[in-house]
Amino acid sequence: MKPEESQILAKLGREPGFKVPQGYFEDLTARVMDRLPEVEITDVDATPTLWMRVRPYVYLAAMFAGVWCMMTIFNRYNGTADGSLQRMAAVAADVTEASNADDFLLMTGFDDYDIIAYDDSTYDEALATDEDLTNTTTP
Amino acid sequence: MKVYDEATIVEQLHHQATAREAFSRVIEHYSSQLYWHIRRLVIDHDDADDVLQNTFIKAWTNIDNFRGDAQLMTWLYKIATNESITFINKKKARLQASLDDEGAEALVADLETDKWFDGDDLQVRLLHAIASLPDKQRVVFTMRYYEEMKYEQMSEILGTSVGALKASYHHAVKKIEAFFQDDD
Repeated sequence: MKPEESQILAKLGREPGFKVPQGYFEDLTARVMDRLPEVEITDVDATPTLWMRVRPYVYLAAMFAGVWCMMTIFNRYNGTADGSLQRMAAVAADVTEASNADDFLLMTGFDDYDIIAYDDSTYDEALATDEDLTNTTTP
Repeated sequence: MKVYDEATIVEQLHHQATAREAFSRVIEHYSSQLYWHIRRLVIDHDDADDVLQNTFIKAWTNIDNFRGDAQLMTWLYKIATNESITFINKKKARLQASLDDEGAEALVADLETDKWFDGDDLQVRLLHAIASLPDKQRVVFTMRYYEEMKYEQMSEILGTSVGALKASYHHAVKKIEAFFQDDD
C-alpha cells in the first residue's frame, strides 16, 4: 500500500470487475478503420532534422553573441574600450594646457605684438652673440 | 507479428501513402489500454466502445496536428480523457440531473444488471463512491488508483501540475473514505 492510500482502499483491490465481450479487441481495429474518413495529410518528415535539433543551441549562441556585440559597442562609445581612455586623457590634457596658456595671455595683457617683439629681440641677441649665425647672415 | 516502433510509426503517419496502415498499427497497439481507461470513467461497455471509436476518429482527423513533440500515448490519452468527460457530461445532461450528485451516480445505477460487470458488492460501492466525485477528482483517482499511473505522466496528459494532482487525489481518497463510513 502506498503511504497516501487509506485502509479502506487497501482492502478493496484495484480490479473494478469489468468484462468485455468475447473477441472484442480482435475485431476492434477493423471496425475503427472502417469508420475512419479520408483525410489529406501534409507530407512532412516528422523525425527531427539535424537543424531542428541544434536550432535551440544556435539561437542561444546568437543571443550571447548579440549581447557581447552590444556591450562592445556600448563600451567603445563610453570610452572604456582598449586605448580609447588613454587617448581621451591625452586630449583632455592638451586642451587643459592650451586653455591655461590662453588664460595666462589674457591675464598678463600679452598680445601678438609682444610675442613677435620677444621673438625679434631674442633673434637680435642671438645674432650678436653667436658667431656662426653672424657669419651666416653676413654677405 | 511486426515489432511496434513508435518513431517509425510517427514518421509513417505523416505521409499520405503510409498513414492509414500506420494508424491501424496505432489502434492495435493502444486500443486495449485506452479502452480500459475509458471504461473506468464511463463504466458502461457500450459507452466505452463508442467513446473509444470516437477517440481514434478524432486522433485520425487531427493527425496533421501531431508533430511528435509528445508521446503518441500521451496525446491519445488526452483525447480519450476529454472525450470521456464530454460523454459523461452529455449523459448526465440527458438524464436531466445536476452536475456532481445524483446525475453522476446514474452512470453506475445499472451496474448490478450489467452483463459486462461481474464485480462484488464492495466493487459496486467503490464505483458509486468514485461516481460521486467531481469530474477532475474522478479522472485523477481513476488514473492513479486503477492504472497506477505516475503523477508526472498524468501531469502531461491532464495539463495540471503534479502538486495539484496530488492534492486532487488526496481529496478524492478522503471523500471515498467518508462515503464508505457514511454507508456503514
